[in-house]
Amino acid sequence: MATNFNESQQAYRLEFHGKGSEYFAIMIVNWLLIVFTFGLYYPWARAKQLRYIYGQTSLNQERFHFSGTGKEMFRGFIMVVLFYIAVLCVYFAIMVGFESPLWAILFIYLAIFSVIPFAIHGSLRYRLSRTTYRGIRFGYRGDRMELTKMYFKDLFLTVITLGIYGAWFQVNIRRYTHENMRFGEVEFSNDAKGFDYFVMNLKGYLLSIITLGIYIFWWQRDMFEFYINHMKLSKGDQKINYKSTATGGGFFKLQIVNILIVAFTFGFGIAWVEMRNQKFICDNILMDGDIDLAALSQTEQEYKDATGEDAADFLDIDVM
Amino acid sequence: MMNGSLEAVYFNGESSSSKSVTLSIDSDTRELRLHSDGEIPVIWNLDHLIVDRYGNILEIRNKQWDGALIRVDDAYSSKEIYQLLKRKGRIDLHTRLLDLGILKIVGVAFLLLGLFVGAYFYLLPPLAERAAMLLPESVDDEMGDLFESEVLGHYKIDTKKSALLQEFVSKIEFNNSKPLKVVVVQSNEVNAFALPNGTVVVFSEIIDNMKGYEELAALLAHEVSHVNNRHSIKMICRNLAGYLTVSLLFSDVNGVVAVIAENAQQLHTLSYSRAKEQEADEQGIGILFQNNINPHGAVMLFEQLERESNVNIPKIISSHPLTKDRKKHMLEIISERKFKVTHNVNLKSLFKQLKRH
Repeated sequence: MATNFNESQQAYRLEFHGKGSEYFAIMIVNWLLIVFTFGLYYPWARAKQLRYIYGQTSLNQERFHFSGTGKEMFRGFIMVVLFYIAVLCVYFAIMVGFESPLWAILFIYLAIFSVIPFAIHGSLRYRLSRTTYRGIRFGYRGDRMELTKMYFKDLFLTVITLGIYGAWFQVNIRRYTHENMRFGEVEFSNDAKGFDYFVMNLKGYLLSIITLGIYIFWWQRDMFEFYINHMKLSKGDQKINYKSTATGGGFFKLQIVNILIVAFTFGFGIAWVEMRNQKFICDNILMDGDIDLAALSQTEQEYKDATGEDAADFLDIDVM
Repeated sequence: MMNGSLEAVYFNGESSSSKSVTLSIDSDTRELRLHSDGEIPVIWNLDHLIVDRYGNILEIRNKQWDGALIRVDDAYSSKEIYQLLKRKGRIDLHTRLLDLGILKIVGVAFLLLGLFVGAYFYLLPPLAERAAMLLPESVDDEMGDLFESEVLGHYKIDTKKSALLQEFVSKIEFNNSKPLKVVVVQSNEVNAFALPNGTVVVFSEIIDNMKGYEELAALLAHEVSHVNNRHSIKMICRNLAGYLTVSLLFSDVNGVVAVIAENAQQLHTLSYSRAKEQEADEQGIGILFQNNINPHGAVMLFEQLERESNVNIPKIISSHPLTKDRKKHMLEIISERKFKVTHNVNLKSLFKQLKRH
């Protein structure tokens, strides 16, 4: 039995090859093109950056690929801008027409909060559909209505419990989205529980106060571990498990050096910082299991509407 | 036609298994052909290719077939194909720019940044002011009206003193292009300001501290000069232009740079308003000369301000140039000019009544 098990066991190695100097060059070229096009190049610039980061991430020596294009994201960008203008128009209409600033502000909040589930859903669908590995697409099969209902229910509970339910809120959304992610026939799942997340954060919060903030790095380690260790992949009865190897000391070193880099380069070192962060993530994820990544077939549809992706970018939400 | 064959790995986008292929390019038909043992070659049109290069690795994709991928690992082959595709115009502008190398890119960026900084400080402000002058004066009025109710709402208006001051104003020629309205508000703050619609707000304390009608005339002349020169609208246009430019330039870099840029923008605004204060000082004293009012009123005004501000604010962070410097400048102007002073009984009596109330 033991030998059989070992035979089907696969080796996985996640690596990040990105270099700060290369990423910096991309950022500078982006900046030049954005300036020359009065900002219109922004979606293409974003595509370039995402493409570099995905392309520099490899699993078993084979690179990931982001095939989203500036053109697709530009369409979404226009949609988001139009939506934004519409929201502002209504806001001013309520403000001036009805002379009720309270309702106007309430409306803005409502508009922003309603966009969030839409942005999460759209961004996941687009981003995953445009991500390939060994020619196979990722995909997201979640239902927007279901996510929106869950989002508003949890948001309501979070508000009436004065934020305590926030831990469950986050975990529920994460679990729902993970469970609807696919890579070919491989299904993602997540067995995180809101209670565990709450306890972990409570502990992190209290210890950070007691240690005058030093524990924050260990709290970050716990959060990272919580995210990674609860994620699973499965294909039939084959599985891949994830495990974090990050340490508090590792987070400490990463961030102190990052702060120094940014401070001493007047912010231009941000390219190196981003590369360090990506490398840290890849270096600290251990995968083991028995899914053969070279024996998968294409199952997911293409999805080219980047509106949700752009909305998420506007709101500064990162789904991945 | 390219000679020899290039080794590559091919994923067909249907399964994740890879296959070894050899590539050949036909320039005439603009085709990339993928050959594998005993199979009909797969043909990709050169116009549909998307190319990524990571060091020595070249990844080629097909626009029409999202999943499929050709990977060339060999340094020589990948360079060869890349150059060929470049000649065929299949490499985008961004990648071509990257090919220049980091030094040239950074050089160009710095050059451009230098040009922008230069333009920002020397070209943008006069341009923005030009733009401001294109706006009809009614914009000043509307903006002033908008602020007026908002600003005056915070203070208690002294209607009697306001009426007296209005009469005081009517006795002086301010060269104003629009009707002036003066308002005295009750406050123990030493302050006065002008709104772009021609409303001048004077705080009761500053009048109570005054030693003569010349001082009051100097204050009003200064404030009206701000209105006459449309300083508010110019300033708003300058700030707006500056803000828009800065946010356009730095929107994509990062927070730190944005913050630095923002602070630079603010300091710039401060030095701007110093220049405008000086302009108003100079034109203000000019109004005193023109009306045969003793120009030392302006000096007295700064002496009052000097007494008031026992805290010394360093020049660089104060929006008004140090009162001492302004007073000195007024004395210089007075010493350089010949002038006539007529004792104005009307103004004197109005000033007395203003102080008495």
